[in-house]
Amino acid sequence: MSHTRRRLACFFVLSILSAGSVAAHDMWIDPTTFLPQTGQIVGVRLRVGQDLLGDPIPRDPALIREFVVEDGEGRKPVIGRGGADPAGFVRASSSGLLVIGYHSNPATVELSGEKFTQYLKEEGLDAVLSSRARRGQTGAGARELFSRCAKSLVLSGPPAAGVSDRLLGFPLELLAERNPYALGDGEELPVRLTYGKAPLPAALIVAINRQNPAQKISARTAADGRVRLPLRQPGMWLIKAVHMVPAPDGSGADWESFWASLTFEIAAPQALALRVKVP
Amino acid sequence: MSLGSRRAFACLVATAVIAIARPLHAHELGTTQVSAWLAADGRYEIRIVTDAIALLEKLRAAGGESRASDAGAMGLEKQMQDLDSVFRRRIEISFDGTPAAAAIAYSVAAAENGSAPIALVRLTGAIPSHARGLRWTYGWTFASYALTVRRDRAAEPVTQWLEGGQTSAEISLGAPPAPPGRLRTALRYAALGFTHILPGGLDHVLFVLGVYLLGRKVRVVLWQVSAFTVAHSFTLGLSMLGVLTVPPALVEPLIALSIAYVAIENLFVTGLTSRRIALVFAFGLLHGMGFAGALQELGLPRTEFLTALVAFNAGVEAGQVAVLAMAFLLVGLPWGSRAWYHRRVVVPASALIACVAVYWTFERVASTVAFTRTIAFIVGWSAQM
Repeated sequence: MSHTRRRLACFFVLSILSAGSVAAHDMWIDPTTFLPQTGQIVGVRLRVGQDLLGDPIPRDPALIREFVVEDGEGRKPVIGRGGADPAGFVRASSSGLLVIGYHSNPATVELSGEKFTQYLKEEGLDAVLSSRARRGQTGAGARELFSRCAKSLVLSGPPAAGVSDRLLGFPLELLAERNPYALGDGEELPVRLTYGKAPLPAALIVAINRQNPAQKISARTAADGRVRLPLRQPGMWLIKAVHMVPAPDGSGADWESFWASLTFEIAAPQALALRVKVP
Repeated sequence: MSLGSRRAFACLVATAVIAIARPLHAHELGTTQVSAWLAADGRYEIRIVTDAIALLEKLRAAGGESRASDAGAMGLEKQMQDLDSVFRRRIEISFDGTPAAAAIAYSVAAAENGSAPIALVRLTGAIPSHARGLRWTYGWTFASYALTVRRDRAAEPVTQWLEGGQTSAEISLGAPPAPPGRLRTALRYAALGFTHILPGGLDHVLFVLGVYLLGRKVRVVLWQVSAFTVAHSFTLGLSMLGVLTVPPALVEPLIALSIAYVAIENLFVTGLTSRRIALVFAFGLLHGMGFAGALQELGLPRTEFLTALVAFNAGVEAGQVAVLAMAFLLVGLPWGSRAWYHRRVVVPASALIACVAVYWTFERVASTVAFTRTIAFIVGWSAQM
């Protein structure tokens, strides 16, 4: 990679499942397996929740804008039956990395001023906080449009360092710039955040491990939209970022947010070592 | 503006345009469902149906335990019972603002055909006497869910959409409003029947005008209208009783065709024949099915089914009589006896009605074909799975 290696301070944050929080939940793809055999069918479960504790979201055709899987052979729609969980199914037809993406239509939520401000703080949306403070709106309730831009990386066959995540063209998108399944021991995962295809600087990126969700890793993106995340613990990881902009005129909302997520597994070294030996 | 940022801007504008153009969807719906029964004997039962693993994982995390291991349905049930005190932390039933303690029973239905195990949590208790309102809060889901409330198992449910952790609007425990009496039902359905013709049913209006334009004599109109009335009452009744079912996709284009036929016949025939009466009777059978479609959309009250049906039919009749009366007052009375009445009134008016009806026939067939194609596409698409 040609860009200068920039080490960003990563913060380890402890959080407790906050009780009764009404809004601002993460949404992620939770495949039935991250490491399918070639030819295996993988259930694509959609989950909404907090700290990787999620509720199933069945397939809702009215909410789906794009639900796709991209592998070495190209891009295909993720098929499924309306109302079903898992929301879709993909087949690991060839060996390699499958990039699964779910982009939702916007949904609306209305929050009290107090709840909205609390949520902006939790998600690190400092620009919106200061904009509201400048206009004296901190106490005011807000109507928000939000849409989901979730991705998941599933590996079939042995990991190859040369193959990595791909941009699917979502409004807000997290991109793993190296194959997380091919990371060496102690290596960091470079991740890039783009908004409207341009790098998004100073955005809060949070990484959560399924085994230890309370201990989050968080960092702000550099000017080129990049962070490097030290993901030492094996198991499922969720990388997330939220971006908020003023809602378009005529939408009836005050703000519009985009929720990017990326899930994958850092396999225990022996699990992948076994795969590499298979001819 | 650089090329990159211009592209980004274009992309943003496109996103914004799509965001506005798309219908807004209010909820990210989960699989949790809550139903409450407020029985007449003063007891309540609230049932939560939800994904068992998702619930247990949240309970264990909130209780400071590690993630649930894969256990059978019995194991999951036992784990939930052990976490009862944790479950109660984010659940509240309150009567007039005072929280009530419910008895809670947990059961888990085992996974089948690849579906996840489902938890059924039943909360039961007594409604305090003189309580006026109930509020419900459920904080163990992050998705939106539906709360349905029934006064007893037979009554119509009332649904509220709630977010996890959100407290419901107050559910009134007062007596349900008394159903409207027979007279009010009759008046309401008669009015619905009338407005289904005027101003709601231009197709039926044109048919009645077509019938009217055939001849000046009262006998001509009376015979046709009687045949039409008997026929449409017959099929309306049979359809509403569920004896007769003909898809609207078939009925609607045929209704349009019947209007065209009557109007075109007016151009060539002046006198009343028994064949014409038979045809109008047959067309009446079709129109009756059309009325039934409309009435099915409106719905009939279970308690006053027959009253509403008869009243609706009478309303339809009154609407048709009103059309005939207006036609007579505006056209028949001033010009009906003129020599040029047929040439200058009947022929152009019938031709116009025929044109409109032929257009409707094609339009209705086209929309049926488009609909069939869509269904075929969906069926074909799901068959590929």
